[in-house]
Amino acid sequence: MTTQTLSFYNRVDDALRDGSLRTALDRATSRFIGNRAAALAALAGPDALRDQARAIRAYALAHLDELLNQLSDNVEAHGGRVCWAEDGAAARRYITDLARERGVKSIVKSKSMASEEIHLNTALEQAGIEVIETDLGEYIIQLANETPSHIIAPAIHKTREQVSALFTQHLGEPPTDDVPAMTRAARRALRQRFLRADMGISGVNFGVADSGAVTVVENEGNARLATTVPRIHVAIMGIERIVRSFEDLGVMLQVLARSATGQKLSVYTSIISGPARPNESDGPEEFHLVLLDNGRSQILGGKYAETLMCIRCGACLNICPVYQAIGGHAYGGVYSGPIGAVLTPLLQPDLPEQHTLPFASSLCGACQEACPVRIAIPDLLLRLRADAVQQGKAPPIERLAMEGYRVLMTNPALYRASGKLGGIASRMFGRKRRFRQMPPPLHLWTRKRDFPAFPAETFTERWEKRRKSDER
Amino acid sequence: MNASRERMLANIRASLNTTRATLDVEATRMPHTAPPFVHRPEDDLVAQFAAEFAKLEGQTHRCADEASALGVIADILRAHHAPSVIAWEHDKIGLPGLDELFAECGVVALDPHIVATDRKERLQMLEPAPVCISGADVGIAESGSLLIAHGDGKPRIASLLAPIHIAVLRASQLVRGLGEAIAQVRQERGADLFADASNITLITGPSRTADIEMTLTLGIHGPREMHVVLIEK
Repeated sequence: MTTQTLSFYNRVDDALRDGSLRTALDRATSRFIGNRAAALAALAGPDALRDQARAIRAYALAHLDELLNQLSDNVEAHGGRVCWAEDGAAARRYITDLARERGVKSIVKSKSMASEEIHLNTALEQAGIEVIETDLGEYIIQLANETPSHIIAPAIHKTREQVSALFTQHLGEPPTDDVPAMTRAARRALRQRFLRADMGISGVNFGVADSGAVTVVENEGNARLATTVPRIHVAIMGIERIVRSFEDLGVMLQVLARSATGQKLSVYTSIISGPARPNESDGPEEFHLVLLDNGRSQILGGKYAETLMCIRCGACLNICPVYQAIGGHAYGGVYSGPIGAVLTPLLQPDLPEQHTLPFASSLCGACQEACPVRIAIPDLLLRLRADAVQQGKAPPIERLAMEGYRVLMTNPALYRASGKLGGIASRMFGRKRRFRQMPPPLHLWTRKRDFPAFPAETFTERWEKRRKSDER
Repeated sequence: MNASRERMLANIRASLNTTRATLDVEATRMPHTAPPFVHRPEDDLVAQFAAEFAKLEGQTHRCADEASALGVIADILRAHHAPSVIAWEHDKIGLPGLDELFAECGVVALDPHIVATDRKERLQMLEPAPVCISGADVGIAESGSLLIAHGDGKPRIASLLAPIHIAVLRASQLVRGLGEAIAQVRQERGADLFADASNITLITGPSRTADIEMTLTLGIHGPREMHVVLIEK
């Protein structure tokens, strides 16, 4: 995918011109929004549940040091091994070294945003190890050599025709427009990958400190297979994705699926602690947990700490008018949508133009309202904007415009004059009460949208008139 | 203790010096106790479970007694001409008479052992089985879910590998909500939930995906057909 190399605004342009993308986004987001709303409305006390979920996430962050220690100790007590990875490089090194030492040739993966964040697949492939994504959506985009466009539905940007073409090319399947037939083809192809794999890699929805367990939530069964069938299971988890206890997990599970897809629970919730015990007939013989920091411990200490409460449900993506229009790829990072616009500048600060993402929001507040743990995303976006400006990252033209605006607004005479001038210009050049084109530098605005024409009479003039008529 | 662990913990603690107090205030704003259930309670848990499970495209077979449960299982095995099954140890399923039933139907219960053996070969032998049969530890009425604590004689693959999954459940095992199920597991297993087994799984209907054009399709990786044989006696 070449979108990574394009500038943010070019990617947005491309996305807005892509008709099939718009249709797919409409279909997916409106379905998710409807299902989520119905699921929450059916609850006896949805607000109390979300407040509980937020309190539980806040506790986990406030006690992150002790909970991670507890999780790590308990995993080891149950026969697992733990890697504390300070950054992506450390996590990649641990997993590739492990794979090499164990003679691993083939790996099956279930969905993991953390592994996308650290580009784990590339590292493993460079080490000569075959890595297969097994979530259907992830598998499709792996075949297409693309990145996920949605946290929950990674391939929503693909049409059935495009998927069929990929399956014809890579699996030798006959072309079809029948989705169940494509699904069966993927099952057949992937089933043999599972049975022959030497290692399974999964993400983690929640680490459970008191149980020494990781929780993996999914609908397809690919994560159950990846964590059961191969001889080695490696789970990779962002350090913040933890809860104190099995009981706390119970609350989080009540909000996760409902917020994500509107399901009461996802089809499969696997709670896994360590490798198979001596009396178990299946499950992996080795279990490894990779705890990934990669900037998270820094975020925890500042004004963006709340970001770490995120449970990656995708509700804020679906509800966001910007995401609905441009989709996930335009954001350029691994995480997209409103939470991605916050996470990407924090977790991937080296990504070019990441600082522009917080500006791609109308600050309408829908994301905060949809968030199951009520993260104040619009506030966080505003703070990131302020940071970008303070670091001198705002474009010069924008700084000039803001400075101009300041001069105008603090100088009543100038303000009145400009309103009058605008009115005159509008009568001369404005068509149908709007400008289609403006001279530089304002053409940057009118390239994308019309500029409203100034009224013939300014507000101050109308105000004066009205005051006079009232006096009479 | 390794060095990276120490450094990560030190970084976390340094950060929490600034934010711990604020976060702790948030943490104490609500009690954390999981509600026992989250929907308005219904009286008939069997009917509620069956209704919820049907919404998930699962089939509940309400059986008055064990004999009719065995009859339902025999019908499913015959309908699919199953030569073999992947099953829990029969006393773990908790339905006497399964051995005789398998013999009668000409069904072979495959050895589900894949640990510490030639795993890949065993898996290839297990793969063709059309049906898997398990019990369940708890049934959750308001979400149509099964909670299964895997372990000795209760392999995970007996609810995963085959395209058809039959789960035997007693009406007495039904609870209202997830919170009740979790409390029950805690009471039975104590502080160390995973002392002698590595996995607890919640199953809520057959395997599903909507990854292609949001079109719902069953059985992408796990079973496409799921039968709960619910013994009411």
